[in-house]
Amino acid sequence: MMKKFTAFLKTYALPIFAIFALVLGLAFVHGSRDASSAKAGRIPVVFWHEMGGPAEVQLDKMVDDFNKSQNKYEVIPQYQGVYDEAVQKIIQSHGTSASPAVFQSFDISTAQMMHSKYTTPVQKFIDEDNYDTSNISSVARSFYSNKGKQLAMPFNTSQPVLYYNASLFKKYGVTPPSKSPSYSEVTRAAEQLYKKSHHKVKGMTMEIYGWLLEEALANAHTSLINNGDGHTGNPTKINLNNPTTKKFLTWIRTNIKSGDFVNYGSGASAETNEIAAFLAGKLGIFVQSSAYIGQLTTGNKNKLGISYFPHPDGVKANGVGIGGAALWISNDKPAKTQRGAWEFIKFTQTAKNQAAWQKATGYLALNKNSQKTKTLQDLYKKIPAAKVPGEQLASAKPNNTNSGILMEGMQLTRELEQTAMETVYNGGNINSALNTADKAMNANLKTTNKADGR
Amino acid sequence: MLKSPAQSTPTSPLSVEKTKNKIADQEAKFTLNAKDKYFAWAFLGPSLLILGVFIFYPMVKTLYLSLFLTNTVGKTTVFVGLSNYINLLTSADYLSSLGVTLFYVFAVTIITIALGLVLANLASKRLPGIGLFRTLFSATMGVSVSVAAIFWLFIFNPSTGFLSLASTFLHLPQIPWLTDPTAAMWAVIITTVWMNLGFTFLILLGAMSSVPTTLYEAANIEGASSRFQFFHITIPSISPTLFFVSIITLIESFKSFGLIDLMTKGGPTNATNMLVYRIYKDAFYSGNFAQASAESIILTIIIALFTLLQFKVLEKRVNY
Repeated sequence: MMKKFTAFLKTYALPIFAIFALVLGLAFVHGSRDASSAKAGRIPVVFWHEMGGPAEVQLDKMVDDFNKSQNKYEVIPQYQGVYDEAVQKIIQSHGTSASPAVFQSFDISTAQMMHSKYTTPVQKFIDEDNYDTSNISSVARSFYSNKGKQLAMPFNTSQPVLYYNASLFKKYGVTPPSKSPSYSEVTRAAEQLYKKSHHKVKGMTMEIYGWLLEEALANAHTSLINNGDGHTGNPTKINLNNPTTKKFLTWIRTNIKSGDFVNYGSGASAETNEIAAFLAGKLGIFVQSSAYIGQLTTGNKNKLGISYFPHPDGVKANGVGIGGAALWISNDKPAKTQRGAWEFIKFTQTAKNQAAWQKATGYLALNKNSQKTKTLQDLYKKIPAAKVPGEQLASAKPNNTNSGILMEGMQLTRELEQTAMETVYNGGNINSALNTADKAMNANLKTTNKADGR
Repeated sequence: MLKSPAQSTPTSPLSVEKTKNKIADQEAKFTLNAKDKYFAWAFLGPSLLILGVFIFYPMVKTLYLSLFLTNTVGKTTVFVGLSNYINLLTSADYLSSLGVTLFYVFAVTIITIALGLVLANLASKRLPGIGLFRTLFSATMGVSVSVAAIFWLFIFNPSTGFLSLASTFLHLPQIPWLTDPTAAMWAVIITTVWMNLGFTFLILLGAMSSVPTTLYEAANIEGASSRFQFFHITIPSISPTLFFVSIITLIESFKSFGLIDLMTKGGPTNATNMLVYRIYKDAFYSGNFAQASAESIILTIIIALFTLLQFKVLEKRVNY
């Protein structure tokens, strides 16, 4: 048996290997487009992004449209995997021929990109062109700016919203949450749904996700770190153990204990599970990124309801910050390439393109004029709830607490926030969980500041 | 499968003597002849170069990085000596990761070997239709990590998963498989064991079928029970394979990454944040290359120690 196999290998190994190599080679040649594939006479602008699925299809279309709209530049889109890993790729490839001219990088990498000094702030081009940014959402712009200077242009933008199954609420005769609900209002809705369905429907879930915790702080106008969440100066102190965090976590834990909230954990599996439960009519309410609208409306026979992100009782909603990613221009490319990158960025911000983007992906149209387009008017006619996230975005006035947290090492901070949330969700002591997180976060911040010589 | 050198050497004492002289001659030539040295370098050079670039350089660089702090773009800035190591070894968080990893590794190894033995022993019986069971038991070998993770995620799903539906049907309490720290660890262990089982089963079955049947026949004549036969004939006879499988499973479990990434991302409350996953997260999520490098060095030392320990302790009990 073994001998036969060896003999077989001896005879056929080389041809098999050769065919394999050829197939691989062909696949590679076919699959990749790089700077050299630009049409003659055009300046190649390599564009790195992290959009998969329907968003990638729409993005490729936008790029194609841009390439057809002029004959000076050719934008070449390259998918680079998930956000977190792409950040490292972008930073480590900087200054080499493989680096992109324009790239998409996610919300919490803003401080890192700023401190890397690897990018040309888009403010330079805004000033050169006298480009009018007033049509672009101010909360989104302020997220990617520092001391009045626009670092990057917001692109795919989402906001956390409260989704509810309107049909279920109707079925059990429960009044759904109002447009901008308070914690106690959400509790009331979740509790009634849980009771009236005889525990068949879980009331609500709040994913263990640092972003949602940060948004709860933003909505209550509370800073997580000093110096105005990093917007007025370099941060030196993190304070997660504050009354707002406690109020938020106490609210969720009390309801998990009483059974009307359910915990699906963290990460992609939690999101898959909560959506599966929601679509199956086993979960009444959940809080998640507005980018999920598409997934929640296709093939869902139930009517979808959307409200604003909840706010603590007795506190006026400050408005939440955005999530998503922005477009940055690398400074290691010649001026004309950077100009091409900027022209492409401007193209992505037009009312028409933003409207098409929202319709295809569920990310919010940033251009105020997009709301008047037929594309979005038709969408709202079909799914009235789809209008709500955009209204939430437009209603917020930017200030330090709802413009994101401008600090390096946000990825680790978020991890630590999530560990604290997990501890609390599983019944641990709130105070000690938050103190543990604070201690680790501050130690990390100290190391970061030391490494950067600040 | 490998031919032992003893089989191919001529057996007459004279020729053995000759061979010895020949080897001695060659050794003498090797140390003297400069041309041979040149050839040796020419032949070894390429592999040394490849090892140097892909193994030795990264190792040295990792060691170097672990002694510094790195800034936002991953460049070394401040020399801190061993303080990265000291910080790690005094941090409750890291030590808990270490504990979690050890628990996982031993649980996976022990359960996989135990189940593998049971299944292999069952499948080694000559019964009609046993081929079907052999195929079924080894089927998980062809399953990739991502498929296994997604498959088990569906089973563990708290609202629509099989386990949840089954426990509702039987009026048993629901286990929050992926959200409770203890349960999540077991969920990952179960999935890993399930994945490893096919390979372990097949290797052990192969070993069992090569045990001489005469031993069992003799034992039967003596009237030894099948349990006695299993522990006193089967286990000792397959001990080299058992040794091999346990080392492989142990080292593979230390390196377990894909399942963790797809199923729990190290959560909940770091309950499944194994050492390898931690290194990945610290380096490629948090961009903390210095700390990740220190963690890599520590992990290397741990795996080396375990391999050494296994060779020293287990090897003594193995019959070749």
